[in-house]
Amino acid sequence: MKTFIIIPCYNEAEKLANVINSVKEYGQVVVVNDGSIDASEQIANDQGAIVLSHLINRGQGAALETGNRYALKNGADIVVHFDSDGQHKALEIPGLIKPILDNKTDIVLGSRFLKGDKTPWFKKYFILKPAIKFQNLITGIKLTDAHNGFRALSKTALEKIRITQDGMAHASEIIEQIAQNKLRYKELPVTIVYHEFGQGVASGLRILRDLLFGKLNK
Amino acid sequence: MPYLPLQIIVTLFVILVVFRLTKKYKDSILKTSEFIGWMIIWVIVLVVFWLPQTTSYLAFFLGIGRGVDLAVYVSILLLFYLIFRLYLKIDKQQKEITKIVRQLALEDKESKKTMNNEL
Repeated sequence: MKTFIIIPCYNEAEKLANVINSVKEYGQVVVVNDGSIDASEQIANDQGAIVLSHLINRGQGAALETGNRYALKNGADIVVHFDSDGQHKALEIPGLIKPILDNKTDIVLGSRFLKGDKTPWFKKYFILKPAIKFQNLITGIKLTDAHNGFRALSKTALEKIRITQDGMAHASEIIEQIAQNKLRYKELPVTIVYHEFGQGVASGLRILRDLLFGKLNK
Repeated sequence: MPYLPLQIIVTLFVILVVFRLTKKYKDSILKTSEFIGWMIIWVIVLVVFWLPQTTSYLAFFLGIGRGVDLAVYVSILLLFYLIFRLYLKIDKQQKEITKIVRQLALEDKESKKTMNNEL
């Protein structure tokens, strides 16, 4: 089984080397450098990762899709999406891809709420919980987390899911496409390490806007 | 007619716009439907400025107090519509830019790979 670990990266020079080293043993690391202006690209190259470079910054969704296309073209059986800022734990990758290896599901989504989480309360009750409710309502898929960037996709899922939302709204778009393509999905508990506030209220509203307007241009 | 100078200025402006529109239409920059749409809008502007009472009839018909109010309402609606169209266009262009950037990133990787293989 060929596993690709896709790390979208925008100016994460400080943490990138550690992140790449931590995931190396679980698969082929593909860093999508999304127009970084710091040393990210050089660091990724030095760590022996495959580096795909966006000439200009296009957003996390765009970077993940570039990684997905590359993986599919190069015979990936499983793709893992992993953040470049060190908020995910590499140790949890084998657990995340196991249901796909056992052919029990097409896509595994990490959830920070399936076990004791350390989400800041404001973010949890004023941003994430409403977002989860909204997501469940419009997609008809019952999930316990929204906008968790840690996920694993099988080849089947990879072939069917096309991320068109360049920004952060891609996370909701993926859920939508799971429903549309009737993919088998599963949620597993993962740990999220909070370094700073992450996405705030403003970016939550931006995601909402992208989702609503994104429908109009199809 | 108290606002004759304004009528003349607006008329000159509309003539200028119509000239430009016609030129763009001849150069195939504008589609026929777009050309007709814009022409109608500017003819309406002329009518409103030379025969302001027409807006009053229409306003009365639609249940709005004054002709001027109707003109303001219609302008705001039109502006919103144009902004909306612009939003869609920009969004589409953003997506196209992403496609190009992605293609370049993937091709760049491929060409490096073949170069390495040849060495």
